[in-house]
Amino acid sequence: MVPRTIDFATLSLQDALDLAILVEEEAKERYDELAHQMELHHNQDVGGFFRFMVKIEGVHEGRLEHRRTELFGAAPRRVRREMLFDVEAPDYDDVRANTTPRQALEVALRAEKKAHEFFTRALAAVKDPAVQALFAELCEDEVEHAGLVEQQLSRLPPDPVIKAEDVEDDPVAH
Amino acid sequence: MSSIPVERPALQAKDFKSDLKPIWCPGCGDFGVLQAIYRALAGIGRPPHEIAFVSGIGCSSRIPGYTTAYGFNSVHGRALPIAQGIKLARPELLVLVAGGDGDGFSIGGGHVAHAIRRNIDLTYIVMDNQIYGLTKGQLSPTSPRGLKTVTSEYGSLEAPVNPLLYVLAYGASFVAQGTPADMAGLADVIEQAIRHPGFSFVNVQSPCVTFAPEDQQVKAQRGRMKTLASVGHDSTNRLAAMGLAQTYGEVLYTGVLYKDPAPQPTLDALVRERQAKLALEAVPRERILDMFLQK
Ligand SMILES: Cc1ncc(C[n+]2csc(CCOP(=O)(O)OP(=O)(O)O)c2C)c(N)n1
Ligand code: SF4
Repeated sequence: MVPRTIDFATLSLQDALDLAILVEEEAKERYDELAHQMELHHNQDVGGFFRFMVKIEGVHEGRLEHRRTELFGAAPRRVRREMLFDVEAPDYDDVRANTTPRQALEVALRAEKKAHEFFTRALAAVKDPAVQALFAELCEDEVEHAGLVEQQLSRLPPDPVIKAEDVEDDPVAH
Repeated sequence: MSSIPVERPALQAKDFKSDLKPIWCPGCGDFGVLQAIYRALAGIGRPPHEIAFVSGIGCSSRIPGYTTAYGFNSVHGRALPIAQGIKLARPELLVLVAGGDGDGFSIGGGHVAHAIRRNIDLTYIVMDNQIYGLTKGQLSPTSPRGLKTVTSEYGSLEAPVNPLLYVLAYGASFVAQGTPADMAGLADVIEQAIRHPGFSFVNVQSPCVTFAPEDQQVKAQRGRMKTLASVGHDSTNRLAAMGLAQTYGEVLYTGVLYKDPAPQPTLDALVRERQAKLALEAVPRERILDMFLQK
């Protein structure tokens, strides 16, 4: 069976970098899926925002890959995507067909906070000082990203009040 | 996608992801189930062309198309007979079956008992959302009593089917439950189910965000679910499993409810054994006509 947990205590810098790359890859793919879902439901604004997030996560992934290649070249990867479950990828359940741009930003904010929690928890278990430094840096990055999303949120006007019955098929089971 | 090579050519979850993009409602529980299936299949390590994935009709039955395995999105309620036929004809294939609670326990309910008693080696994953999703929110066999839907304006008067108790009572040798609220746990039970020889059953509480009530959604499940490990359940004890299964609809237990420690031979293995034996005594085809004419 593929291990579904990560032993942070024994993580090397190479593994840690690979893990961080995979975290970004997972988030990028999820935003792509969510963008497709929104486009399918004619929610272009939110779809566009999720597409923007695909680019952002791709940039983060690229930076980490560059660093990994500089340090370890093409040394084979030892950690697997199957060990990760929604670290920085927004929860599927967090999005609905009628998600508003404001709610979409909140989705991204929760995702950044989730990633911050992940690296903070990991940091407590990590032994290797180089890995500790990397995870501390990633924690800071997540705080910065969350701050940027919060800034955007503060600029958006509040959502209009929409009653559930305006958007739900009728009658919905209750 | 990363350009850094992976050490072993092991299959990855993404190898099981097809180019078709799911068209489920955003937020549907089935998205998480699909991710868990990809991961379970990566853990199993059989290439997609060695896997047959059969489903019935329903939102959940779209799942084979989202994988790179051979898929058969068949007829409402008939996934199990088709899957059994495939396994008997091509025993070397890994056969998975998926569908909704309506597909499996309403129109297809009669097939479950027979698939279990035959014990053909396949894994049946039911996405139990307690509603007919595809046809827009009618009562399903697992809908709780009192549920108001388009077909039960004043609340359902019927008691639900208990899928866990149903399959345990018919003698299924592997029974588990999971939810997309715990994708790692779900991937784990699906992988265990596939590894188990014989008929294995995974009930997935996969919420319908469009037609099912709030208390069945992933967020509500997170507060309610309990791992079977945390209650010290002995998964080799069928009666204990049946005891816990009684709480279906109240407690959301996750993990392996029952796993036969000494599984019986599978029907597909017995058939192969008999075929091999009879082949030794078989009359060559060209002599059959002679025999017929002599008599
Ligand atoms: C023979 C037949 N009867 C009825 C239908 C209509 N039908 C399609 S899907 C479905 C039920 C869907 O519910 P479920 O199986 O629980 O799957 P879900 O959509 O909730 O995933 C029904 C009644 C059909 N396609 N074929
Ligand atoms: S109707 Fe329900 S089950 Fe079907 S895709 Fe939508 S949320 Fe999922």
